[in-house]
Amino acid sequence: MRFAQIAGGALLATLVAPALAQHDMMQHDVMRHEVMQEGGMVMNANAETPPRDCEQVSTDHAFTVHAGAEYADGYPGTTFGYSQREFVVEPCSRVTVTFVNDDDVRHQWMVHGLPRYLYPGGMFHVEANGGTSQTGSFIVPSDDRTYLVHCDLTQHMEKGMKAQLVVGRGSGDLWAIPGVSRGFNRDSYLPSGTGVLMILAAALGIALAWALRRLF
Amino acid sequence: MRKWLLLALVVTALISVPPQWYPRTWRAQWADWFGASGYRPLPASVSVEGAVPEPACLEDLSGWRDGQTIDGVSILPSPTCIADDPYAIAAFVRGTNNVSAATLAASGLTTDAVEKGADLDGDGDPDEIHIRLEVIELNGGSPELPEPAAQYAIAPGIMPGFWTFAPKFVGMATENFESLNARASLRLPSPAIRVEQGDRIRITLENGHYMPHTVHLHGVDHPFVDVNGEGNDGVPFTSEIPVMPGAARTYEVQPRTTGTAFYHCHVQPHVHVMMGLQGLFVVEENRPNNWLQTLNVGAGHVRAPSQAVREQYDREYDLHYLEIDSDLNTRIQRSNDPRLITQSMHRDYDITDATADYFTLNGKSFPYTFRDSLVVVEPNERVKLRVVNGGMNPIALHTHGHKVTITHRDGVASPPAARITRDVVSLAPAQRLDLLLTTTNDGINSYGSGIWLFHDHGERAVTSDGIGPGGHISAIVYEDYLGPNGWPETLGVSWDPYFTEAYYRKELPIWQAYAPNLFTDAGVDVGFLLRLIVLAASLGAIGVVGLGLLERTRA
Repeated sequence: MRFAQIAGGALLATLVAPALAQHDMMQHDVMRHEVMQEGGMVMNANAETPPRDCEQVSTDHAFTVHAGAEYADGYPGTTFGYSQREFVVEPCSRVTVTFVNDDDVRHQWMVHGLPRYLYPGGMFHVEANGGTSQTGSFIVPSDDRTYLVHCDLTQHMEKGMKAQLVVGRGSGDLWAIPGVSRGFNRDSYLPSGTGVLMILAAALGIALAWALRRLF
Repeated sequence: MRKWLLLALVVTALISVPPQWYPRTWRAQWADWFGASGYRPLPASVSVEGAVPEPACLEDLSGWRDGQTIDGVSILPSPTCIADDPYAIAAFVRGTNNVSAATLAASGLTTDAVEKGADLDGDGDPDEIHIRLEVIELNGGSPELPEPAAQYAIAPGIMPGFWTFAPKFVGMATENFESLNARASLRLPSPAIRVEQGDRIRITLENGHYMPHTVHLHGVDHPFVDVNGEGNDGVPFTSEIPVMPGAARTYEVQPRTTGTAFYHCHVQPHVHVMMGLQGLFVVEENRPNNWLQTLNVGAGHVRAPSQAVREQYDREYDLHYLEIDSDLNTRIQRSNDPRLITQSMHRDYDITDATADYFTLNGKSFPYTFRDSLVVVEPNERVKLRVVNGGMNPIALHTHGHKVTITHRDGVASPPAARITRDVVSLAPAQRLDLLLTTTNDGINSYGSGIWLFHDHGERAVTSDGIGPGGHISAIVYEDYLGPNGWPETLGVSWDPYFTEAYYRKELPIWQAYAPNLFTDAGVDVGFLLRLIVLAASLGAIGVVGLGLLERTRA
């Protein structure tokens, strides 16, 4: 790999990526920092600088998260999943994520809503090619808040790859996290013929009311 | 008392019967006796306001349209309003494993998206090519949002769901966290693939989608089984178990023959091909120093053409036609559960009852076709058009102002004597034609400079769900008719209505903008409406009072 030739190590090159898309709404943000690695990348890693509202790093949390189609087992109606879908950490703690991709396709572990002065775009993002793993750290702010964690490949979040990072007491569960919360929009799982069943039930109600009318 | 009430109601009902409902003979007799009814003006015209057009052409902030050299790759200027990402083009030409770190980062691609290896024949270009394609879903459903995820509009407000093959990229699928719009590399149609004759090609399908898929290399020379004896044809019931969600599979080809071919998913093809899992596959002639643009995202203008094309042509365009039955393509938006979607698309949907609603050229319908799917030319040029019909019906492709020459059919060159020149060319479904467009103003090849439409002359294809102009209308535009931002300087009517969602929702009177009194909507006949309301109310009251009378009489 070319990156290995340049840096010759595990951390291969710190790149300052220009705005990727034309008319990018976030061009005013600090440039994002991507650390490309063999088979993936860690974006906006920060193991040293606490957010402004934290005097120092309070504690360390380390998680090993597996990702893949097999982790959808046990959650009907999903295709992909994480081995862990809720991460509870203390305010101002340093979170180290080892992200293991057990599939043959790309997956991501992406956090949104972090302070932008420290995390360009408000993101911390680990991405691993199929069969590889990546590790990265970031430091969370002090306020009680629940952050979205997901894979942003199209339809991966919708089809089960969604989790939440709860800092302190959090700010309430997010929707549609397998094993944690329901979807806001629910599909209908009614059998065919439900309409006929409802008409029959209505007829039964009328018949009962007629039969018992003298009681009222 | 009740009888009097009934009488009054009957009289009211009779009076409120509108005169236009009286028997024709009565009205004629009336006119004989008393003459015609007096003049009352018809309802006034009502114009429909409030539809704000989006800008036709945004400024090219990043300079993507300019001709430029990136990492030694010479990239032709793209005169249209929206151009392909030149960093991605440079990465596709050099290989994402060979290009500079800065270019790769700017392209947003992964290091293994298009890997290029050894020069096997020693002629100065790589002959080992490894392409990795992901399957992505555009305009899919969401268990939370009321609108589609990873949005891709083919025209203002028109967002049917699509599946396409896409090059591997890094990061978010959308432009950024605030935006719901898919990034530039995620679009319709699947990218046109370009390889050299004799190259050792590996195509890895990384199926990150929630349904099984394959790659079938339609018209590309490939063995039925690969070196390991495994199926290589992409057909589930003759060749291989399809690639399941989260899994990957590599197809191997070393094409002996050249030509414009096709690739598509062969799982439930009547659904998966129509959802957008299809792209052009071009095998170019082997030439020294032939660095090919391995992928042409969204088809369209080829900004780094092959040596063979450079020898014979001034420009090259990939033109990919698709038709869309919104009844199929909106099914991925109606459910989120893959089991329900699978049943809905493969068992409930019936393609034998299908009618196409939308028609795209290179993934866009009019007016968006004019942003990036124009054929831009200058006089006295030879332009190569590689055309594929990805729909389920034949296309009768008509070029205004030009007669084109068919040089190749399905990748096979026609003998010179058989190269017919015409202004309507037919393409059967999945058929490819290579066309020579000559812009010499001689009354046959070209009638001179201008903005000349080209489109399927089966007239429904020039509409979007029956609203015209729409569909896949595009144009051959001479550069002297292009403005500095790449937008054609059209004569004729304002395009503002076409850049509103309301127009394609059928809410705008089509000629309102330039003939406001003549062709705006007619107002409502309030008098007629009131009469009908009074008539209905009195008939209802007659029913109730009449029933009451009847009951009393019985008692």
